[in-house]
Amino acid sequence: MAASAGVAVALVPSGFAALRAQQVPIRVGFPVPLTGPYGAEAKDQVRAAQLAIAEFNESGGLKGRKAELLVRDDKLNPGEAVTRTLELIESYKVDSIVGGLSASVQLSINNVTKERKVLFNSISQSDVINEAQDFSIYTFHEALNPHMTTGAVGRYVFPRFGKRVVFLAPDYAYGHEMVRGFLSVGRQFNIQVLAQILHPLGATDYSTFFPRIQALKPDLVCICNFGRDQQLSIKQATDFGLKRNARIVVPILLYTARVAAGPKAYEGVIGGTSYYWRLEDTIPSAKTFNDRFRKAYGGAVPSDYGSLGYAGVRTVLEAMRRAGTTDVARVVEAMLGLKYDFYKGPEYYRACDHQAVQSVVIIESKSKDMESPADVFNILHVEQPAQTHLRSCQELGHTA
Amino acid sequence: MRPLSLALTAQRARDGTDALTRRRVLIAALFLGVFPWLMPYKALAINVLIYGLYAVGFNLLYGYLGMLSFGHAAFFGTGAYGCGIVVARWGKPWFLAIPAGVFSAAVVALAIGYLAIRTRGIYFAMVTLALAQCVYYVFFQAESLTGGENGLRGVNVRSISLPGVSLNLLRPTTKYYFILFFVVVALWIVSRILASPFGAVIEAIREREARARACGYNVAAFKLITFVVSGALCGLAGALNAIHLSTVPIESLVYETSGLAVIMSLLGGTGTFFGPFVGAAAFLLIQDLTALWTEHWQLIAGAVYMIFVLFFPRGIWGSVLEWLYR
Repeated sequence: MAASAGVAVALVPSGFAALRAQQVPIRVGFPVPLTGPYGAEAKDQVRAAQLAIAEFNESGGLKGRKAELLVRDDKLNPGEAVTRTLELIESYKVDSIVGGLSASVQLSINNVTKERKVLFNSISQSDVINEAQDFSIYTFHEALNPHMTTGAVGRYVFPRFGKRVVFLAPDYAYGHEMVRGFLSVGRQFNIQVLAQILHPLGATDYSTFFPRIQALKPDLVCICNFGRDQQLSIKQATDFGLKRNARIVVPILLYTARVAAGPKAYEGVIGGTSYYWRLEDTIPSAKTFNDRFRKAYGGAVPSDYGSLGYAGVRTVLEAMRRAGTTDVARVVEAMLGLKYDFYKGPEYYRACDHQAVQSVVIIESKSKDMESPADVFNILHVEQPAQTHLRSCQELGHTA
Repeated sequence: MRPLSLALTAQRARDGTDALTRRRVLIAALFLGVFPWLMPYKALAINVLIYGLYAVGFNLLYGYLGMLSFGHAAFFGTGAYGCGIVVARWGKPWFLAIPAGVFSAAVVALAIGYLAIRTRGIYFAMVTLALAQCVYYVFFQAESLTGGENGLRGVNVRSISLPGVSLNLLRPTTKYYFILFFVVVALWIVSRILASPFGAVIEAIREREARARACGYNVAAFKLITFVVSGALCGLAGALNAIHLSTVPIESLVYETSGLAVIMSLLGGTGTFFGPFVGAAAFLLIQDLTALWTEHWQLIAGAVYMIFVLFFPRGIWGSVLEWLYR
């Protein structure tokens, strides 16, 4: 209830604040899918982004100029996202857009912002947004991308758990990109691909795949799907007994999906993530961020995608402060100069594609020794940021 | 006394209707000319233009011919991709791209129509739905051309060079009037079709198909031609949408988009000339405003829709017309 009220307040452009302020506030447009299957993640992103705005304003803003967040529901639809982005740019003259929670939505927003020379910081996974064809100097990518995520997961699991691998992936861009990423890292470890099985997006019955997978006697089963598909396939694989002889690996192990599905189904599943709140045990900035989040939202901890909302907004505001202006060319320059540690350890944007070079956290779902209901994963490994883990600039088609 | 006064009222109503009907394109154009200033922001006004045209195209088939299609997204989407591919992949100018979109939508409509018009009622709805899903799948799989799941980006038409003037489409007002020009031309064509003997025949088919056939009209041919014209209009809406959004989302082709045409037409008033625009404006405005203050906007939009279906079955514009000419 409090959460939805918070979102509702966030949705109303804070007209009074704008009237009181001597200058026009810095406006950050925030299109995210509040309705639809990723609503839980989107709302968490709004909460975290509000935190970044509040921090900026409390610490004095940009020479006294405050920031405000204009949240819009993109309904997980690229057409709606473009309409909302146009509204934010044309009617509200936003200084930057942060948001997007699917590959197609972020690419559509990006097409609009780059035409209109507005800085866009994307906070969900996509490989394509790094590529030269979609890139512009106004495009930044704060989230991980499938290549980085699968690379880190692959480097962790292939040497440890065996080389006989079966892939089960949904038959669309996300699934294909994830499998491509695993195959790319797998070549370094000479993995043996026993089968690549594609399932229709949104499938509900996975039981027909498991006898075949079991007969192949794999060491690893890479299930490359997302959201509800991930929940159902992992639950059914567990019921079938696939875990007795093989490890289940997923590229992105979602906090919200794990909490929704419960400990039993996900027991022992390994995957990657951009952020898990237990990083606070070792990283001071994570502790600071979590504590602020807990204080603001009744003890709740931020989710993986939620924290990207924080980082995405905070980097843009920090760059504006360093540039001393909201002039986009100088803010872009300042973004590229940032070496920041806002919530998960050191990060920076690579010059050629503006991808945030950052750590990838390898986690394992647990069902025992949980200190709280939010304590759902063990951190197995944190792969430190390195440009070598990204696709090279040449590979992406960048000349610089 | 009574029959006479009734007849007089009816006569007056007819006169009034005729005066309005004769100038309906002009009136619509004038209204749409000031429309952007009645909307919260320009991009939404442009959406109303585009979806209004889309619903007008659908309404030609459903409202005037009486055939309920659940596959009109196929034409909207084909028009959008047709236009988008010509700009983004082949680098050709807008004046080739828009006709290309309309033409490709018409071709798809001819193919689907040829197969679908043999059926009627619920079977027609199901066949159009199924064939539209096939079109969706073709575009989804042709990833190198359409961008597949990620959508087609880069349909960037920044400016339009005409003899003597250059229009900057990055300015929302300019873009609105650029798109309005095509919409008004399309409305004029629809108005001419409806006022022609052809228009009278398709309404006759809607009222009683057997009788129209008995009068010697080739019903199948009339249906097919109307289907193709309807598809081409929706294709134009799609092509304009590609230029408006500068991208073509794969969502242009999903069955929900087909449903939008049905909802907007019913909400505005099927079988009325301007109803689909009213429906599009009402639907998009409700969705836009309610989404600003609650995430449960679907609940409100659904309730409004149900109220109209239950109590105003002629739709918003249909009810207004009925009240005016009572």
